[in-house]
Amino acid sequence: MDYVGPIASGIPMSLLLTVLGFAIGAVGGIPLALMRRSRLRSVRFISRSIIELLRGIPPIVWIFLVYFGIGNGLIKVEPVPAAIVAFGLISCAYLAEIYRGGLSAVHRGQWEAGVALGLSHGDQLARIIGPQVMRYSIPAAATYAIGLLKDTSIAFTIGAQEILFFADSQAKQSSDALTPYLVAAAAYIILTVPCAWFARSVDRRLRVRIAS
Amino acid sequence: MAQPVTDPAAAKSTGMDVSLEHIVKAYGEHVVLDDVSLSVREGEVCAIIGPSGAGKSTLLRCINLLERPDSGTIRVGDTTIDAGQEVGGKQLHGLRRQVGMVFQSFNLFPHLTVLRNIALPQERVLGRSRAEAEDRAMELLQRVGLGDKPAQYPSRCSGGQQQRVAIARALALDPKVMLFDEPTSALDPELGLEVLAVMRELADEGMTMIVVTHEMQFARDVSDHLIVMGHGTVLEEGQPEKIFTDPATDRTRRFLRAVLER
Repeated sequence: MDYVGPIASGIPMSLLLTVLGFAIGAVGGIPLALMRRSRLRSVRFISRSIIELLRGIPPIVWIFLVYFGIGNGLIKVEPVPAAIVAFGLISCAYLAEIYRGGLSAVHRGQWEAGVALGLSHGDQLARIIGPQVMRYSIPAAATYAIGLLKDTSIAFTIGAQEILFFADSQAKQSSDALTPYLVAAAAYIILTVPCAWFARSVDRRLRVRIAS
Repeated sequence: MAQPVTDPAAAKSTGMDVSLEHIVKAYGEHVVLDDVSLSVREGEVCAIIGPSGAGKSTLLRCINLLERPDSGTIRVGDTTIDAGQEVGGKQLHGLRRQVGMVFQSFNLFPHLTVLRNIALPQERVLGRSRAEAEDRAMELLQRVGLGDKPAQYPSRCSGGQQQRVAIARALALDPKVMLFDEPTSALDPELGLEVLAVMRELADEGMTMIVVTHEMQFARDVSDHLIVMGHGTVLEEGQPEKIFTDPATDRTRRFLRAVLER
């Protein structure tokens, strides 16, 4: 029996969940990372609490919270948006921590040069520090993205039609319980390996410039 | 011990470009600057020498408030700041607009080309157009002898080249005063020479400069005013030639002997 076609049709959904979840985190992680370095103790505390809360709860619990919890009680939420929101929230926390590492990797002299030149704080972040942080963050962010792609498989539990969803339905339709899941496994490998390879090559190219 | 702010009008008439009065700075118990005053006239080159840990760099960094003194008055051009009081953003901006700084570690922006390093601050701080800023950047690159490097990234340049780019970057904002914090200390002696040549040229053109340095030859030949610091205070100051040939204090004599007779 041919499982590859049906299971491959779940790839776009897996990618959609990964890309949108990651994008939310890539943006939402910025304020959290900056708050983490605030001069005010209370702001640092708030940001840290948010990060611990987001990371401390398992992804599947987040998905259920958003889909069944909020989705049932308050507003109607479809499985796909619910999964995106859940993965986005978790990504905010992880990317904030990755950015924080990138921020501390930027040499103090970069801030001082910006200050001495009279650049505003916003300009310094957006033009000088930010781009360098992004470059330092690439390896860790790529590792996270790969992890996230694999985690999106749990969205199948609320009915998002991604790779595992189709593999599972194939397995249930036939007597073969092994092959469909092996095909799903292969699909994840095929997606993650080039992603890792691409991230490494981008990192290598950009790193030449910031290693001064 | 906050000093009363001097009347800006009165200060202007003295022809002083930079003056520091009664600067005090301590990290906890450790007093780094103990009531230091200094003034530099327009067009003057002031060299600050002395053993490490004397507070030279800290003093320099107080001028553009990279380091915040505990008390004292800082005046640059028409901006006067009382360090003991709250400093407004506008005041701070006014001060830094007039002061260019060159660091020991260059601090070029590694993700920008040489040209963009010099042009970006002009665009953001002075509001120049990109074309205008890049024209000025090219002009300055030629002046520091790097007219062939605009598209290069800093990591591809030698230390001496990077430092010259850093000088061009600071000059591009048309500062009244240039601060140099040990600009050649991170360089091989030969690469340091190219940086010193650019600094000499700047001095000849009448730029007001304050230079913290270990380059005794430069301090002796190029500076108009020499300050010897030790233990957070000014040991002595005056004409470089006089101090080099006939130092007034024992501490200065010991320091000069150590750096000159090796």
